[in-house]
Amino acid sequence: MTAKDLKKISRENLWFNNPIFIQILGICSTLAVTNLLTNTLIMTLGVTFTAAFSNLTIAFMKEWIPRKVRMIVQVLIISFYVIIVDILLRAFLPEISKSLGPYVGLIITNCILMGRAEAFAQSNPPLPAFWDGLTSGFGYMWVLMVIAFVRELLGFGTLFGIPIAPSWFPQWTIMVMAPSAFFLVAILLWIAKNRMTGGKA
Amino acid sequence: MKKDGILYTVVFSFIVTFLFVFLLALANEGTAGIVQRNQELARQKAILSAMAIPFRTDQEVNTLYKSIEIVKKDGVQLYKSSQGEKAIFAKEFSGSGLWGTITGIVSVDSEVSQIIGIQIVSHNETPGLGGRIADPWFKDQFRGLKVKNGKIHITFGAEAGSGKANKEEGVADGITGASRTSQSMDTILNGELGMLKKILGGSR
Repeated sequence: MTAKDLKKISRENLWFNNPIFIQILGICSTLAVTNLLTNTLIMTLGVTFTAAFSNLTIAFMKEWIPRKVRMIVQVLIISFYVIIVDILLRAFLPEISKSLGPYVGLIITNCILMGRAEAFAQSNPPLPAFWDGLTSGFGYMWVLMVIAFVRELLGFGTLFGIPIAPSWFPQWTIMVMAPSAFFLVAILLWIAKNRMTGGKA
Repeated sequence: MKKDGILYTVVFSFIVTFLFVFLLALANEGTAGIVQRNQELARQKAILSAMAIPFRTDQEVNTLYKSIEIVKKDGVQLYKSSQGEKAIFAKEFSGSGLWGTITGIVSVDSEVSQIIGIQIVSHNETPGLGGRIADPWFKDQFRGLKVKNGKIHITFGAEAGSGKANKEEGVADGITGASRTSQSMDTILNGELGMLKKILGGSR
């Protein structure tokens, strides 16, 4: 595995094979958690951390995992890291832990984690697998942050909780609610696909 | 041993599960003390801020909390602060929200004629929607909210955010997009006010 391969992995995960744009994975959390930038950032950091380390662990262990139970073992490893994230948040960032509530636990069900474990970590050496998990997480993070930016700005008139919009600005209630994420994901998908194919889909 | 054989699979699964769960138990045990201290501090802070007692540092929380009396009336535990001109009372509450239990503190004056403040200790409401009951703008509406005929009202549905909120009339704004949570808060708080009125109203 050379530096060129690593670069290719990151290009794939950040753009050409972006988890949201192309794989359409992890959409549930995209809808639920993207109306505030702070929550989105912490949640996507959690996903990135879990993706990177679960990929690393699975790639290390793959020789010993019997094929029949490999998915169960993958889920076990993913849950392990998610619970670690939850424990760390509760101990050291109680405020954030409180505002994210059940969403930390729900990282376990984020399809990106299983997807990368099964598609990449299961058949690659540990280091590239770690890199793949990390960049997949970042690919997911930047798209969600763009959506959260629009939703928080229009829905609350704030960014990271800091008031930005002038007081006469009408807050768009729809942006606070889940449906707006559908529109925004669709618009972003459209733009991204268009750029990738140069307009000839 | 054959890697895909039953025996290997069972032994492998057992060892892997045991190992990871063991590590989790270790991590949980290691942070249990910190988590518990955080929770206790959060509870004390919630009681103080519900009673509108200002504090700056965690140390201050500790000393100020000691000035609060714990009184038992009719088998209900109340917190009493006699520092101001009039005594004020606070009570822990818990009730069901949309997804789970909402717990918190509500503080009232001794006649239960107005709410001094509320604080949310824990909830499982949707982050960004019902979860905003823990946001300052929502809680601040209850500072000095008058209790009318033993009740308050939290707007929800089309009413929410329509400008109906009025402290003198005992009306607070609900959360747009979180009608069920707003409704739950209305039910919980009115239930608590009724109980506080019964406990405190009888004694004077």
